Amino acid sequence: MTTGHFVVSGWAWNGASTTICAVAAALYVAVFGVGPRFGYFAAALAVAVLTLVSPINALADGYLFSAHMLQHILLLLVVPALLILGLPRSLSLEVRPRVLGHPLVGWIAGVGSMWFWHVPVLCNAAVASRPVHALQTVSLVVLGIVFWRQILAPREQERLAPPGAILYLFSACVACGVLGIIITFSPVTVCSIYAGQPADGFGLLQTIRSGWGLTPERDQQIGGLLMWVPMCLIYLGAIVAQIARWYAEPVVPATGQM
Amino acid sequence: MSELMTGAAGAGLLTPLRREHWAMAWISTVDHKRIGILYMVTALFFFVVGGIEAMLIRLQLAVPRNGFLSPDTYNQVFTMHGTTMIFLVAMPALFGLANYLVPLQIGARDMAFPRLNAFSFWLVPFGGLLLHFSLLAGGAPAVGWFSYAPLSETPYSPQPGVDYWALALLVLGIGSVGTSINLIATVLTQRAKSMTLRRLPLFSWMVFVNSFLVILALPVLNAALVMLLIDRLLNAHFFLPPGGGSAILWQHIFWAFGHPEVYIVAIPAFGILSEVIPVFSRKPIFGYEFVAGSTVAIAFLSVLVWAHHMFTIGLGHTVDLFFVASSMLIAIPTGVKVLAWSATMVGGRIRLDTPMLFCIAALVQFLLAGLTGVSLASAALDWQTKNSYYLVAHFHFVFVGLIVFAILGALHYWFPKMSGRMLSERLGKWTFWLMTIGFNLTFIIQHFLGLAGMPRRVYTYADLPGWGWMNMVSTLGAFVMAAASLLFVWNLVASLLHGKPAGDNPWNAWTLEWATTSPPPVDNFSRLPPIRSRRPLWDDANPDRPDPAVGTKGKADNFVPEKNKTAVLAFIISETAFFGVLVLAYLFSNATPQPGPGVRDLSMAKTGLFSLCLFASSFTLWRSECSLLKGSHRAMRGWLAATILLGGIFLGGQGLEYWTLFKGGVSVGSNLFTTAFFTLTGFHGLHVCAGLIALLVVLGLALTDDLTRRPSPALKAVGLYWHFVDLVWVVVFSTVYLLPHLQ
Repeated sequence: MTTGHFVVSGWAWNGASTTICAVAAALYVAVFGVGPRFGYFAAALAVAVLTLVSPINALADGYLFSAHMLQHILLLLVVPALLILGLPRSLSLEVRPRVLGHPLVGWIAGVGSMWFWHVPVLCNAAVASRPVHALQTVSLVVLGIVFWRQILAPREQERLAPPGAILYLFSACVACGVLGIIITFSPVTVCSIYAGQPADGFGLLQTIRSGWGLTPERDQQIGGLLMWVPMCLIYLGAIVAQIARWYAEPVVPATGQM
Repeated sequence: MSELMTGAAGAGLLTPLRREHWAMAWISTVDHKRIGILYMVTALFFFVVGGIEAMLIRLQLAVPRNGFLSPDTYNQVFTMHGTTMIFLVAMPALFGLANYLVPLQIGARDMAFPRLNAFSFWLVPFGGLLLHFSLLAGGAPAVGWFSYAPLSETPYSPQPGVDYWALALLVLGIGSVGTSINLIATVLTQRAKSMTLRRLPLFSWMVFVNSFLVILALPVLNAALVMLLIDRLLNAHFFLPPGGGSAILWQHIFWAFGHPEVYIVAIPAFGILSEVIPVFSRKPIFGYEFVAGSTVAIAFLSVLVWAHHMFTIGLGHTVDLFFVASSMLIAIPTGVKVLAWSATMVGGRIRLDTPMLFCIAALVQFLLAGLTGVSLASAALDWQTKNSYYLVAHFHFVFVGLIVFAILGALHYWFPKMSGRMLSERLGKWTFWLMTIGFNLTFIIQHFLGLAGMPRRVYTYADLPGWGWMNMVSTLGAFVMAAASLLFVWNLVASLLHGKPAGDNPWNAWTLEWATTSPPPVDNFSRLPPIRSRRPLWDDANPDRPDPAVGTKGKADNFVPEKNKTAVLAFIISETAFFGVLVLAYLFSNATPQPGPGVRDLSMAKTGLFSLCLFASSFTLWRSECSLLKGSHRAMRGWLAATILLGGIFLGGQGLEYWTLFKGGVSVGSNLFTTAFFTLTGFHGLHVCAGLIALLVVLGLALTDDLTRRPSPALKAVGLYWHFVDLVWVVVFSTVYLLPHLQ
């Protein structure tokens, strides 16, 4: 199959993900109506659909580790962030017990899910088994929400103060970047299932290996680099937004109170 | 405490007042202003040393096929020149300025930890001595300031020069981390009450952001240095390919430090420009928020992109592509800064006094350095120009064109504050013009030499068309710079003796350091002006048209944490970086199995048992902290003693494991596994020892009731460190003992 054919035929509209996204959109409109923030929510769903239904998913399903990494990043960092941004500003995301709202929990959720799903056994299992794959997808979105809640919660008082948020994001970037570095330079295959002979349902393997020039080693390198560089740029974007938020905080007339 | 004081006075120690007049005051001082000046004087001394080395290099290169220096001497001289200029000139000079100015700018009486400050400073001359002692011990290091393995390893550099180099840098690195922890704690905890974080003068803000970069990056170098030393002194294999090690690993670790290092010295220079340019343009800085914010982005990007120093070693096309893109991104936040400084000058009433002249030159030259920098970020161009004089010209435009010029600007600007006397403006202008002409003569032409193919790091060159005269021009320029430097030193000395009195605020500047006398009294301020905006002295002088107020009600504006806890947390960040590198080196070294001793020779059960003791000690320490909070001191001491006991048992267990291995004929140099294993667990053990000593001190304090008579942060602070050491062991144990069983 050529690249052109694949881009057309690589879509899987009949999956559960399409249904879930449609239901979520309907629920959102029913509960909150189409408000000013619906755009974010719709964008979140669009990215989710793109991640789970488009050829990216077909590639991640046994062909390319780097496509899997792209999915991973979109599901953990982009979709949850847009989901939270799509919520009305009055909604509280406070959780009970209070300790679950601790920044450390959010940080571990965000960084931990990165590390956890790249343990070789689990990484392979998520490709080989449908239920594990579904569990991975759901867990990434949920943990992503737990991570971003600290930064983007709809209510200002539930967010970290900007300097703390910058440290939170910076350290998360370093912790994920280290994993990216390991994957990039590791002489060992992280997710062996991609290096083996995939089922090749689309008959695309020939095109990938010789047409695109992606050997398993180079594929893993790209995966690691995606995690190391572009992912950190997402964090950098968030950091810049925090700086803007900090300096935009309302100026209180300073008469008397110092 | 009071008995202690009288005892000390009786024993002949001086009271602070008498010590003030004592000749040794400069040596025993813990005053941030004196320490700052000591830093700068040390930097000036080494600037002369490094400058003489530069002159020797330029003399050797003045004509083709010169025999003035032998190849080996040349290698030694250029190694010492690079190392000296970066570690003994640029960093101490900037730390000196930061030490002197940050407490003054934020309205503090001193740094958060004055004695730590003195300690950090004295490590600089000590490190400098250690480095130069190599001259007496068989020759200076001759491996470049980057000390690439395997050239720096015993088989290729058997003389002890590299050992001295590594030890000296280790000492200097520890000092830098100490200073930076101190600066972070100072900015966070010692600010005047209304000096909120959003009102910080830009120099202080940038030093603050920069300090985080130092505590992240310098430990990475320290880890590389201890690995190199272990390789050299214990015949280990980290960076030696014949033993399974990787020379590329050294480059990765070195540049993971080396790239942030560029920004560690550049960001304070940005801070200087951000202070001087507005004052001499008689306008507030254009876009404070953008200048401050872009600093964070620069710091962030700088830790991400080190691989662009390694394009030519063949990391592969894929890796190169990513780092081309991310390296070029740095041009955006730096460009924002350049635009902000330029826009500050637009429409201003510019006064071209010497400090401003230096800063304008720094700005222009930095722009050129940035442009060649972007060109070098492109892998294809980098391949052509990397090992040529094009690169030499590029980084000298950064280090001299920006940083040295900014430091000279800063010294002309703040000298009146430090000494109470003005520098001679006439000599200053002469210095400036000589320096600018000399610098550009020396280095602009090196771009062309590089494009013509002249390789760097080589002691001489063939007589190819044009190379001879271009090198001669470069050498002449270097001597003009030397003349300018001498003139500057002359100006310093003459003005110190006969300069005209400066007054409190000779430049009509707006930040707090100008609100006190010149030089400031020991305790800095008798009275602080009200602080409502970023220019308190402007508001004070122009009550009818003050700056718009900057808020105080932000969540983080009045954030003032406890200083001991802050310092320990900053220390923990630096330790995380150190151990992070050791763990990664372990993983990298053991990715493929090697012959000889391996994980199977370790006893997981036994070590697991001793590890439980260590983990239990975290629990007992937590109980101890709880008991202190509840006020039951007996229980507190009991739990504390239990913690120390458990820590001791763990160390005993480690000793036992080592002993078993040694008895079985295993040593650090047996193979790559033992090299990495002993380094990683050994350094953890060393940290457990340090933690135990700290806990013993706390226990001693507790037994003499010093801890309980007044609320003391000691237990909490040491406790944080102890928990961290235990957490490191969780990672080390998982990596070394558990991971092999997962595969």
